[in-house]
Amino acid sequence: MSDWTAPEYADGSERSTSERIERELLLPAPRQQVWEVVTGAGWLADEVELDLAPGGDALFRSRESVKTGWVEDASAPARLAFWWATPDGPPTRVELTLEPAGDAVTRLRVVETRPLDVLDLVGTPLPGIGGRSFGPALVAA
Amino acid sequence: MIDSGDRAGAVFGALSDPTRRALFAAIARQPATTATELAAELPISRQAVLKHLTALAEAGLLDRKRSGREVRYRVTPEPLSDAVSWMAAVGGQWDERLAALERQFTS
Repeated sequence: MSDWTAPEYADGSERSTSERIERELLLPAPRQQVWEVVTGAGWLADEVELDLAPGGDALFRSRESVKTGWVEDASAPARLAFWWATPDGPPTRVELTLEPAGDAVTRLRVVETRPLDVLDLVGTPLPGIGGRSFGPALVAA
Repeated sequence: MIDSGDRAGAVFGALSDPTRRALFAAIARQPATTATELAAELPISRQAVLKHLTALAEAGLLDRKRSGREVRYRVTPEPLSDAVSWMAAVGGQWDERLAALERQFTS
């Protein structure tokens, strides 16, 4: 399990999690097999390079776009969380959760969020990764 | 020049707070309202109302006009369509990715 905890805000308020995209899909394969496919190329991008460790680099290259980012958590075969961004866009956080859902069936849950609330975090440094500044503040918080 | 992605982010940030959403809804119901009127209607202080109104205005969701000693607020819903279109675009991308993933298991 990761040591992810929700960030605390200066005003003590709770933030809604409704600003997000959420999808679920049942896949006809055991969880380990689904894990190997979802961490590979061919669906997130044509070309995927993922260093499956916290803080590991992530690169997603397709014909039309390149996204770079970093891995927040990789708990095979259950959970992959990473941040990604196009060169000119704001970063977003993607979390993939894999759960067994019967005999050789796996439920994949995808959540992409725009945690722009990170800007509300007070006194949290934003370490840069490859010249960019984003993401790790949430883990460090 | 603010691109639509950043603007959508600012809108989400501003509306991520339940109190701000309640304020935004209250102003939409009664245009040209003031912070004093809003504070009377909601269980928060005028000072807290002002803080939230500033956040909403900075995200481009409110128009402020001075009227005598008070400032009157109106909603400007245009930025919301940016936010909605971001949701639609990113949601559509995931639908395509998941379809591609599903094909890897069925082919």
